[in-house]
Amino acid sequence: MGTTASQLAKDSLSEYQELTFLTKQEILLAHRRFTELLDRDERNHPNPRVPMEVILTLPELKSNPFKTRICQVFSTSEDKDGSLTFEDFLDLLSAFSDSATLEIKSHYAFRIFDFDDDGTLDCGDLEKLVNCLTGETEDTRLSSEEMRQLISNILDESDIDKDGTVNLSEFQHVISRSPDFVSSFKIVL
Amino acid sequence: QVQQMQAPAQFSGGSWKQKKTIFVRKFKSNVREFLYFFSLWGKTLQKIGNFGGGVQSYFIFLRFLVVLNFVSFLLIAGFVLIPSIVFRSVDILKYDPNPQGLVVFYEFFLDLLSGTGFMEYSYMFYGYYNNTVVVTSLVGSDFSYNIPLAYLLTAVFYFAFCLICIIAMGKAARVAVTTGGSDVRSYSMIVFTGWDYGCLGSKATKLKQRNIYYRLQVDLEEERLKKHAASLTLCNKVTLYSLRVLMFFVAIGLIIATFVAIAYATTFSQENNNVQGFLGLFYTYLPSIVITTGNFLVPLLCDQIALLEKYPPSATVVVALLAVVLRLVSLGILLYTLWNQIVCHGSTDTCPCHYNHSNYQCWETSVGQEMYKLTLFDLLVSIALLVLVEFPRMVVDHWSCNLTQWVGRQEFVVPSNVLGLVYGQTVVWTGALFCPLLPLINTVKFVILFYCKKITLFYNCRPALRTFRSTTSAFFFLAVLLFGWILALVVMIYSVAIHPSFACGPFRSFLRMWKIVPDSLAILPKGTRDFLFFIGSQAFSVPVFMCYFIALASIYGKSVAMLRAQLKLAGQDKQFLVKQIE
Repeated sequence: MGTTASQLAKDSLSEYQELTFLTKQEILLAHRRFTELLDRDERNHPNPRVPMEVILTLPELKSNPFKTRICQVFSTSEDKDGSLTFEDFLDLLSAFSDSATLEIKSHYAFRIFDFDDDGTLDCGDLEKLVNCLTGETEDTRLSSEEMRQLISNILDESDIDKDGTVNLSEFQHVISRSPDFVSSFKIVL
Repeated sequence: QVQQMQAPAQFSGGSWKQKKTIFVRKFKSNVREFLYFFSLWGKTLQKIGNFGGGVQSYFIFLRFLVVLNFVSFLLIAGFVLIPSIVFRSVDILKYDPNPQGLVVFYEFFLDLLSGTGFMEYSYMFYGYYNNTVVVTSLVGSDFSYNIPLAYLLTAVFYFAFCLICIIAMGKAARVAVTTGGSDVRSYSMIVFTGWDYGCLGSKATKLKQRNIYYRLQVDLEEERLKKHAASLTLCNKVTLYSLRVLMFFVAIGLIIATFVAIAYATTFSQENNNVQGFLGLFYTYLPSIVITTGNFLVPLLCDQIALLEKYPPSATVVVALLAVVLRLVSLGILLYTLWNQIVCHGSTDTCPCHYNHSNYQCWETSVGQEMYKLTLFDLLVSIALLVLVEFPRMVVDHWSCNLTQWVGRQEFVVPSNVLGLVYGQTVVWTGALFCPLLPLINTVKFVILFYCKKITLFYNCRPALRTFRSTTSAFFFLAVLLFGWILALVVMIYSVAIHPSFACGPFRSFLRMWKIVPDSLAILPKGTRDFLFFIGSQAFSVPVFMCYFIALASIYGKSVAMLRAQLKLAGQDKQFLVKQIE
């Protein structure tokens, strides 16, 4: 079921259309961009896997503060190194596409924000999340006092069962109230 | 654990209904993108959005004013300007301020800046328009066009049109306020949904990150200040309040001093308007200079006072309101002084013609010139500020860090910029009756201002520390604009009641400007007259009022529907909580 040559087989195309939210043009464009990232010899490989550093050269991902987390979430490699096959890449684009539903997007957003991959957002995850949002340099980080105040406010607002962490359903409850989450959680090639 | 969390399997491709909903959604977003392409400055506004919602609403407001002015100009051109040009007849009048003989070159430049000389007797100002009633027979039927009536009615329709536009935008903004109310910008919302994944480029990313950083900082600081204020002892509270009262009186004193200065400057300028050359130019611009200096200094001082009193940042709204009062009332003082000069301070013995005909052969043109000068001076000051103040500050920023820390990197302060726009628009409304081309000049001025402010924003400023909430700010801007409109309306009503000049303009043979309406009604054919009287009578106005109340009821119906939707959301919250407990 992999891409054999630089051309996508027709039945693979229709299969990908069935399984993802992408249109035919979007899949073909994704395929073209993915093959551009490969070396000459890798192109004849049945199921090429692109390392994370090469994926992050894409302009849509290059300046995104969550780029490493996005690659790690969608990667299916055993060593958890963030490398993506073409199907992982399609999964990524499908989740970030126009037509994906709110549940899919909020599910993946939760996984991206879960930095330690333990299934809940605890204080450490929230702190890393806020640092990604405000910038990595020293003068754009919140002070530790402000960070503590902010995290306690966030947990006050969204942690309903008061266990000190935000789980998936609490996260989805907050997201459901935002009218423009669906339009901002979008990456289009 | 990660492998257990499978993504919900709701991929498309299955039923036809899902395909249809996806198609409809895609179509709607395509149409929206298409319309976006045609809307003025759509892409620029999206880029500006990275600086925050408050700054974006300023630029949206500016775009609304540009469109409003342009459409008003088309209205005036269609009904007044083009008929005047087409039906131009030779006027035999004693009033002709055109300079005779050779004119020195710099005189041309001075005339351009002060609206005198060659500009005075042109389509620019009231004095050039004829009072002719054109009657021609085209294509066999009689065609008559009453230019003075058209002039007055166009002015009235212009005001009504602007009011309708403001109210329409206000309703749209108010709907946004009430629906956005349930979406309180809490911390979790900002953190979980604040990032825009379509943001491309490192510069835009850094901008957005800085924006989020400042928003969080501002909210956290406000919370801390509130906690601090709640924990003050009684003695601290007493000193704080007495300090505030003292500073309030100081602010009032400053404002009254500004008003006195404006009145004095206007009187002085009108008395010395015969001086020639550059000194004369300075004297004619003296009221504009005093108003602009006052509008610049007093809010600056009030800001410093507010800092001294340790007001929380949301109290800057009070300072903004004070600045509104200052700007618009100082304009009112200027107009009041001018009007006093024109009607010889109310005494009739020096004014046999009910206006000061020795100083003002054509007083309407003088008023139009004053408004023209105010508009032009406003634009020149904005450009001068950009070039002389903000650009060097940016250069200083790049070179030395110590100086930057002392002076502070500049921010794009939204409230004072919005007040500048409202002030400019109020001047145009006041002067439109006397200077019909003023909306066109204002359109050009606002377009230039848009690009100047855009350059300032992108290259000089960082996102403002005090963020204005974007949903309420649009409504606030329109409310202030309405206040300016009311001031202009009062001025127009007053000037319609003064005796028009004998020497110039479309109303030279009438006792009052509005007298043309009854006179024109009298010469209408009987059928039309009866129809118009019927419209004004009770049999017609009662159904009109009923329609108004029906419209009001529909608006309340919409509010009820919105409240119901909010109740539904609250119900969903309860269901969620119950599910959590189980």
